[in-house]
Amino acid sequence: MYLWENMPFVLIIVSLAGAFIMAMFARWKKDWCPYLTIISVGFSFVLSCILAYRVAGGEIIHYYASGWRPPWGIEMMIDELGAMMLLLLTGGFLLIAIYSIKSIPKEVPPSVTGWYYTCYLLTLSAMMGMVATNDFFNLFVMVEVTGIGACALVAAKGEKLSTEAALRYLLLSSTGAAFLLFAIGFVYQITGNLNMSYVAAELLRVREQYPVIIWVAISFFTIGLGVKAAIFPLHIWLPDAHSSAPSPSSAILSGLVVKVYAVSIMRIYFLVFGFDLFTGSFMRTLILVMAALAILFGSFFAFAQVNLKRRLAYSTVAQIGYIFLGFGLGTVWGITAAMLHIVIHAFMKVCLFLSAGAIYYQTGKKKVTQFTGMGYQMPVTMAAFTIASFSMIGIPLFGGFISKYGLALGSLEANNPYFIALIVLSGLLNAAYYLPILWQAYFVDAPKAKAKLKMDAIPISMLLPIVITALGIIYMGIFPNGTLVFLSKVVTKFLL
Amino acid sequence: MTIEFSKLLLNYPYFVAVVIFCLGCLCFLTQPNLLKKLIGVNIMQSGIFLFYIAIGNIYGGIAPIFDPSLPKETLYINPLTSTLILTGIVVGFSVTAFALALIIKLYHYYGTIHAPEIIKMR
Repeated sequence: MYLWENMPFVLIIVSLAGAFIMAMFARWKKDWCPYLTIISVGFSFVLSCILAYRVAGGEIIHYYASGWRPPWGIEMMIDELGAMMLLLLTGGFLLIAIYSIKSIPKEVPPSVTGWYYTCYLLTLSAMMGMVATNDFFNLFVMVEVTGIGACALVAAKGEKLSTEAALRYLLLSSTGAAFLLFAIGFVYQITGNLNMSYVAAELLRVREQYPVIIWVAISFFTIGLGVKAAIFPLHIWLPDAHSSAPSPSSAILSGLVVKVYAVSIMRIYFLVFGFDLFTGSFMRTLILVMAALAILFGSFFAFAQVNLKRRLAYSTVAQIGYIFLGFGLGTVWGITAAMLHIVIHAFMKVCLFLSAGAIYYQTGKKKVTQFTGMGYQMPVTMAAFTIASFSMIGIPLFGGFISKYGLALGSLEANNPYFIALIVLSGLLNAAYYLPILWQAYFVDAPKAKAKLKMDAIPISMLLPIVITALGIIYMGIFPNGTLVFLSKVVTKFLL
Repeated sequence: MTIEFSKLLLNYPYFVAVVIFCLGCLCFLTQPNLLKKLIGVNIMQSGIFLFYIAIGNIYGGIAPIFDPSLPKETLYINPLTSTLILTGIVVGFSVTAFALALIIKLYHYYGTIHAPEIIKMR
């Protein structure tokens, strides 16, 4: 009964406590850390499944920290979007934790293998807090903790490049957090509340009175969370950080961390400021322009990279553009597609980065030009890579098609058909940088490579997450209805 | 829109906070030295802390410790923003510590903390 009532709190505190316990084990029993992490994240996953089941039954879960009701206490609220994100986060972290058992000792110096899991659980717990919280200051604290944890995940590799990338990421993300804190200060000043629902109600009353302060606050929110979500002109930290991190960290950062900020910014725009202010403050136009530039330039830059992980990292910049485009359109289909793309892109990017890590694990090859005959050396991994690439391009029956189709419908709804041309062009660009990898892997020197056909020589614990994410992509491509119905309720609430 | 200077003078703490924030931002963006960049981030945060304290202040208010012997209409300042800033200071401190650790590591690798030289070297 206690667990049932305090479920959101338990969900977050288990991971947080796990992080500290892991720091204890890191000293003496380093080998236990991955398994303890899997137990902890698995428990969180079960809890979020129960939460998602409860939310699917029509219940919106409110939790008041130590019984203090808002406007005084901190409120946690889990709606449909929150439940979906919690499920995605814990599921993704569980898969990547299984992958890490064998991968991390190879990519990280032995002195930090235990500490890696501390940062891992810390990041997970802060991200879940960010998704679940309904309080501005709590959001800021969670944002900062996520930033520090994510930087530590990058820096764990201990090489020159990753240290430098981590420092740049840390400085930029703390600058972003400073902007966020300033924006929260403005909002508190004009509304006198920190609870998001109360701020939204109060803003309706005072918006005529303080147009300038609201404009400054909304643009500071855009900059602060935009730096962290890596929307186009603010993305400069992303390619270095995501490509120089260990592969499991890259999968976390690219697939999950940047999405959480996108979800927060979406909530702030639609639930706190409301659609009118979002459009009226020209922020919607700005978001659309930035998203369009992100899609184009992210794809162009990705095209120019030779290192596979750098190519995937630039591809993330473009895909973040899709998410921002979706909710910048501000129509039912646009927002639904943005949320759906958060899920599907998480599957795709986790699959791609884990495959890249597996290829590096078995053959030590990093550059796409070295992949000759890879399709016959690692058939299962490359099959998963192929599925994820096809989904990235947007071929029907794969998940990416559904979200792109939704975006196209959304841009028709918004009377802005130019974006369909953008989506098609970007699909072609995606094809231009993913298909050569597959060509190299399957068809260059094919007869010679076919003779040497063998199964992947990577551990089963690394193969399993890759296969599961690839199956997830196909599942989302063929049966997207369940997720769409689940999300439709929260979209109508967004557009009230 | 006209700026009323009398209002600006009355609310000078906000103005000072914004100026400090902008100075920190400038320092972060223009200084080539990594340590100075970090100091810039810290200055930015200090500006925000000052801003929060200024929000909570009420002219003529006293420290928010309830005293039954004082008359009922005594003004207390808003303690909430000060408590928020305690958390903010802790967060800023941990970011600074982590960044310093990374800068030390970079110095071991490259022998310099001058950002353009590091970019040239890699």
